[in-house]
Amino acid sequence: MANEDSADVIIVGTGIVGCLVAEQMLDRGLSVLMLEAGPRVDRWRIVENFRNLPPTLRLHFDAAYPPKVWAPHMESYTDAAAAEYLQLEGPNARAYRQGYIRYAGGATWHWAGICWRLTPQDMRLKSLYGVARDWPFDYDTLEPYYTRAEYAIGVCGPSDPALQWPSIRSKPYPMGPLPFGPGEQRFTDAAARIGLKNLPSAQARNSRVAYDGRPPCCGNNNCIPVCPIAAKYDAATALPKIEAKGGRIRANAVAYRVETGPKNAIEAVHYFDSDKISHRVTGKMFVLACNGIETPKLLLLSKDERNPKGVANSSDQVGRNMMDQPKLVAELTLAEPMWTGVGPVQGSSIMQTSQGEFRGRHGGALFRFNNMARSTFGGVAAVRKGLVGKALDAEIRRLSACTAEIAIEHELLPDPNNRLTLSDKKDWLGINKPNIYYDVGDYVRRCAQEYSVPLVRKLAAELGAVDTQVSTVFTNSDHIMGGMIMGANPADSVVDPDCRAHDHPNLFLPGGGAMTTGGCGNSTLTMAALALKAADAVIDQARQG
Amino acid sequence: MTHSHRDDAPADFSLFRRKILIGGGVILGALAAPPIATIAADSAGSAYPSQFMELSGLLIAHRLDRDVGLRLAAALRMKDPAFEAKVGGLLQIAKGKNAKVVEDFFADVPEGPLKDAALLIVSSWYLGVIVDAPDAEVFAYELALMYQPTSDVMTIPSYAISAPNGWTSQAPPLSEMPIF
Repeated sequence: MANEDSADVIIVGTGIVGCLVAEQMLDRGLSVLMLEAGPRVDRWRIVENFRNLPPTLRLHFDAAYPPKVWAPHMESYTDAAAAEYLQLEGPNARAYRQGYIRYAGGATWHWAGICWRLTPQDMRLKSLYGVARDWPFDYDTLEPYYTRAEYAIGVCGPSDPALQWPSIRSKPYPMGPLPFGPGEQRFTDAAARIGLKNLPSAQARNSRVAYDGRPPCCGNNNCIPVCPIAAKYDAATALPKIEAKGGRIRANAVAYRVETGPKNAIEAVHYFDSDKISHRVTGKMFVLACNGIETPKLLLLSKDERNPKGVANSSDQVGRNMMDQPKLVAELTLAEPMWTGVGPVQGSSIMQTSQGEFRGRHGGALFRFNNMARSTFGGVAAVRKGLVGKALDAEIRRLSACTAEIAIEHELLPDPNNRLTLSDKKDWLGINKPNIYYDVGDYVRRCAQEYSVPLVRKLAAELGAVDTQVSTVFTNSDHIMGGMIMGANPADSVVDPDCRAHDHPNLFLPGGGAMTTGGCGNSTLTMAALALKAADAVIDQARQG
Repeated sequence: MTHSHRDDAPADFSLFRRKILIGGGVILGALAAPPIATIAADSAGSAYPSQFMELSGLLIAHRLDRDVGLRLAAALRMKDPAFEAKVGGLLQIAKGKNAKVVEDFFADVPEGPLKDAALLIVSSWYLGVIVDAPDAEVFAYELALMYQPTSDVMTIPSYAISAPNGWTSQAPPLSEMPIF
């Protein structure tokens, strides 16, 4: 039948998790078919899209990725546009305006490339602080997968243990750290004066040398929305490698139903193409890696007689515990130049503030100097003042150099009330849009009030800020976690320690959705580590037939 | 068309700070060359394009890209049929003051349509767009002048000015305005 196809392993989603799993499968001789809802484009197209955006839109990373009608994603350029796809409600609805694109390669295109690990403590919140849940395994179990992930995607980082986060490592980073620009150095120095250590980030960016066929970073300062030279790990380089190994990638294929069989094993995935024609693909093993929103949505869409609450959802936890790191931003005006725009857009963070005995009462926080060039901001703001001549040039230079932004990303606990459900509103294909209720909770609010905001004001003062405005509305960090939460107990979790669905022996749900807790750091490296752990389990299971 | 500023012409895009200084000398030389007013009139014989470039040169004391200017001129007139007359009016004021730079005559431009037109020309050159709104046409990205007052330090996003691990935490003082 023309609209039937099959492979040993069906992977839905072509982001970092899908790509890492695919390569592992292909390396072990399993056939792979990947389904991607969105289009497949070349790097130059995204770069040109970006350069052809009007200035203010350049600050919206998603604007360089216009969605196809069959694969909508949130567009952030106005509140009205942002409300089109993601349906958000609750006290902190604004903080779940998650940015991700539905293109082949997913968020790897526009991620900052930051690769923090969780700490051992981050994985034992219940035991140590009496809050949230413990992971079903410890850091030592995850560590080898972290290392494999760092070598798979090419992560640079410091060799000095005093600068590593955490410093519990079985191997050094494959590359050394990237240098700081002037702003990042001044931020580091000011932090040190008040007893805080600003660490060079582990980053999936090639440092000094080429790695895995990609060139070294040259400081194009455009990691978000796209690295123009492929120095950062992204799917534009990962996808051809998968194809070279024999994997097949089907773009514009929107999965809308996971089909179960008599023993509740998964038998097929159904997808619509861009002409609304339905197709069915069968396989032995199924990996859903469409990100922390699209995967739970697909599971809920797939409810059937055997699974009346949705596939993988006997626990009723699919779509619950939605997490991120709620963000506040401090906008600083300084008397002296700080300077941004030298090196990558993000390159360091204060991490020690994510840990402490206070975690019984409130969450931790990460503080990051945003290194994205502020010349677009400075240019637009100065021009709007109606200045001309030398006064205009001087004001552009001052506003660009003497302003800065510190992002604070807060640790949030898994809460079953923070829940993704299917909206009554439907997209172009007739598929329900995701609806998410979100409340950051008192754990986050207390952190902001008692800890993170007072601390950022202290930092700002030490930097010599003459004005500091701290946002009062939490916003998204785009680190989508929790919706297929991992645990040992099938009654209160969706996946087991290998990201295998408790309910379905041949269904794997690796990625951010499986994370039991999120910590303060960017979630990608943990997602990648879980992808490799799941891949090992898929291979073992495939071998056993 | 050849774009010497594009990243597909890397030999022309190697901007170590020393080279910026050398380049600054070249730019100064270019400014001393015959001015933009020598640009040919458009096919209809209108003096408007060259008047637009002449006025732009008086409003903005920097090197202005001719291709960008001609496109801006056409788009501004398309948007506002009275724009050509406003350009003429502004030129008249500037010439009346024997102006060489914007500071010589801007205070004499009356509030209202003429001043708005002058500011629109300035903002278009600096921002690379006539309006900064979704779906607006972009006339200049890397040549938009807003990136130039910080070009000694800041990367124009997506255009590297460094080399592998070639950047440092050193930065010049605010007072050292780049020449552009």
